Amino acid sequence: MKYSLLLVALISATSLMAEETVMAKNTGLNEATKNIKVCPECTKVESIREVQFVESKSAVEKVLTEGQDIRISVSGQGVAPMNTASPAQAYALAKRAATADAYRLIAEKVKGVRIEGQDLIKNMMVQRSTIRTSVNAMVRNANVVETTFKEGLCEVEMEILISHSQFAQ
Amino acid sequence: MRSRDGNLNFSLSICSVVFLLLSLSTLQADEYLISYRYVVKDATLYNETLHIAKAMKKCVGNPQKELILENNNEDDLKKIISANSIEFIEYLQKLGLHIKHEEVTKKFINKSTTILTLKTTCFEVDFNDNFARIIALK
Repeated sequence: MKYSLLLVALISATSLMAEETVMAKNTGLNEATKNIKVCPECTKVESIREVQFVESKSAVEKVLTEGQDIRISVSGQGVAPMNTASPAQAYALAKRAATADAYRLIAEKVKGVRIEGQDLIKNMMVQRSTIRTSVNAMVRNANVVETTFKEGLCEVEMEILISHSQFAQ
Repeated sequence: MRSRDGNLNFSLSICSVVFLLLSLSTLQADEYLISYRYVVKDATLYNETLHIAKAMKKCVGNPQKELILENNNEDDLKKIISANSIEFIEYLQKLGLHIKHEEVTKKFINKSTTILTLKTTCFEVDFNDNFARIIALK
């Protein structure tokens, strides 16, 4: 009998404690919401953050709109073959390869890349992993801005100006 | 008696002769079919082909931007292009190239192939004593 009374007393005490903590949490939340509503600076900060987020998003994704041009610049790299007759030939061949790379980069940026991945897993282990990427595009009016040739590596900086009218139908 | 305005018949005949000469000079422009393709494998030039052939029938198309190449009384387009290959290939690149790129990564080893192609295009070539004017027709 004594033990049962003690148990009842303990249960009631714990329930009371729990109610108090819930009340305290609720009041804290209310205070916090009150603070948000009352404090104008906090709302300002939030709005600034939102603006910054929108700005950063727009900086990443450029959208071609009417009356606005987008300049895309890339840097392609090419290497001269091992068996060249002269340094001039090596330069010419490396430049050709670098130009192709730059064209490919422009095509990737403008049109996009198709990616296919295939993984073969056997007995919880990767047996074979293959990634295939492909680009198919047509590029015209690309301009070579700068060409540098250093230690067998040729770099071609290329840019293209894209306007809305080119894509309008 | 001659009028103060000059001889109208004489001036008309001169104009007609000039017009005839101009039309003859435009008729002299030859038309060529040119295709260009080059392959780059693993950032190194692998293969390059430039095919030039005289057109057997009249080409139809809008004239594009012209290219003027140096010429020393030559009327062979292949020789003129081989002497000014860099300028000509840059001109072809400006006209627009089709890009086909494929890349395969197997066991962290990457292999890439890029093919740039100019499909067979008609060019109007006007040979002069010191220069040759090349105009693409598209």
